[in-house]
Amino acid sequence: MNSDPNSLNEPHAGEPKLGSAGAPVWLFVLIAMLAFWGMGFLDKHGGGFDPRVYGPYESSADLGRDQPVTKGSKRLNSGRAAFKIYCAPCHLESGLGNAANNVPPLVHSEWVLAEGPNRLIRIVLNGLQGPVKVDGKDFDSNGMLPWRETITDDEVIAQILTFIRMSPEWGHNTSEITGEQVTKIRDETKDRAVQWTIAELLKFSEK
Amino acid sequence: MNHGPLIFVGVFFALALSWFGLVFEPQLQLGNAQQATNVVNTAELYPQRRPGQAQQGLDVYRSLGCASCHSQQVGQTGRRYDVQLIDAGTNRASVIAALPKVVTNLTTVEAEKLLAGPMPQIILKDLPRLAADAIVAKIEPSGAKAEVKVIPTGPDIARGWGKRRSVAEDFLFDQPVMLGSQRIGPDLASVGLWRPSAELLLLHLYDPKILEKKSVMPRYRFLFEKRKIGRAPSPDALKLTGEFAPEPGYEILPTDKAKQLAAYLLSLRTETVLFETPMTVASVTVATNASSVTTNAPSAATTNAPPP
Repeated sequence: MNSDPNSLNEPHAGEPKLGSAGAPVWLFVLIAMLAFWGMGFLDKHGGGFDPRVYGPYESSADLGRDQPVTKGSKRLNSGRAAFKIYCAPCHLESGLGNAANNVPPLVHSEWVLAEGPNRLIRIVLNGLQGPVKVDGKDFDSNGMLPWRETITDDEVIAQILTFIRMSPEWGHNTSEITGEQVTKIRDETKDRAVQWTIAELLKFSEK
Repeated sequence: MNHGPLIFVGVFFALALSWFGLVFEPQLQLGNAQQATNVVNTAELYPQRRPGQAQQGLDVYRSLGCASCHSQQVGQTGRRYDVQLIDAGTNRASVIAALPKVVTNLTTVEAEKLLAGPMPQIILKDLPRLAADAIVAKIEPSGAKAEVKVIPTGPDIARGWGKRRSVAEDFLFDQPVMLGSQRIGPDLASVGLWRPSAELLLLHLYDPKILEKKSVMPRYRFLFEKRKIGRAPSPDALKLTGEFAPEPGYEILPTDKAKQLAAYLLSLRTETVLFETPMTVASVTVATNASSVTTNAPSAATTNAPPP
């Protein structure tokens, strides 16, 4: 042991030297636990790194459950919008028609709620004229417009018809109509230029 | 003893990591943010650019240091589900029969009164989501329409500072974003909603004690001009009474800066319902007609056969 306090050559006893002390093991354990806790925290509160998820929501699935849900199929809901554009001017948004102007109702109409769309699609494509009995009341249709040239997209016609046949607002619940069904009848009747009358329509089967 | 390279690498990674975490990753997340659509009225884009005067007002807001006492971020800590009756339907008797079954302690008389009242009406508050869904499903068969309403909750919302929390979308067109960090005064994220008049805002800027007796906000009188009344009082003049009124024959007029600031404050309205902040209506997901009915429909079609 060196007793000379002024010696510069030898270090004091107990003075740390480079590499003489190792980091304590518990520090690594603590850091690892903190990192684990941090990751757990991020996982719970990070919203899956989705920029649209804010507290108190935990994930985009959680957020999705609180979004407004539109009832009914997509086709029905698109049909509701198209109906307002093309049909509501005469049949009104309520679908009750306008008896004063000889516009029959669509609500509870046996023509709308028919088992199949055979006659209904023909009416929309070419229009209708002459007397018609709807829901027990007589109307002398002064001519429903033909929509063959105006609405060229068969899917839109299918959407409208699906809406009027299945509208929950009106208490209707029949079957959906597809664009193919409309295309088929459009092709079958492509040579017809005038509106239908009820007598002619009754020759076609309902389905 | 030469650990220079090691220290360099250590410092480099420490700085690079924080740059990635605090600058790069947020840019990746929010850098492409665009106007969003209101989830209720999908035709409405949000946010809109602030009108020109309000845009200039942002600079006034910034230059006066409003952000050092006012924050612009409303927080939300939870949400609550209420059941709301939207439409009583046509079959009142069945609705009145159905309501007491789901709402405890509701007598038939009260149910009748409820239906006579204005719609929509909240009939049950603070339910678990599943219970709320179940109740709506029980009410609907009676012909009435009910919905589950999502209501954001939290201390800020309870104070009336906003209807929902602030989200990044709200600040899309603001440069710079005046989030603020201290709340010596109230949060202003939705001040255009709870003080919806330029006149009141101008009065508050002229002398905060007019509207809030205990306000500690400084007066911003230099935003106003005292003028001798000419032939007739100006329609823009502040309507001041009592101790705040100028001497007779004079009127107080807001300068352009005051008007810009008021326009900016009025444009602070965070009420649009975005995907991030559902707060109106979550209907119950019911089995839709689409999936169940592909074959012949039984009900109306068979009873209303077309005339022969």
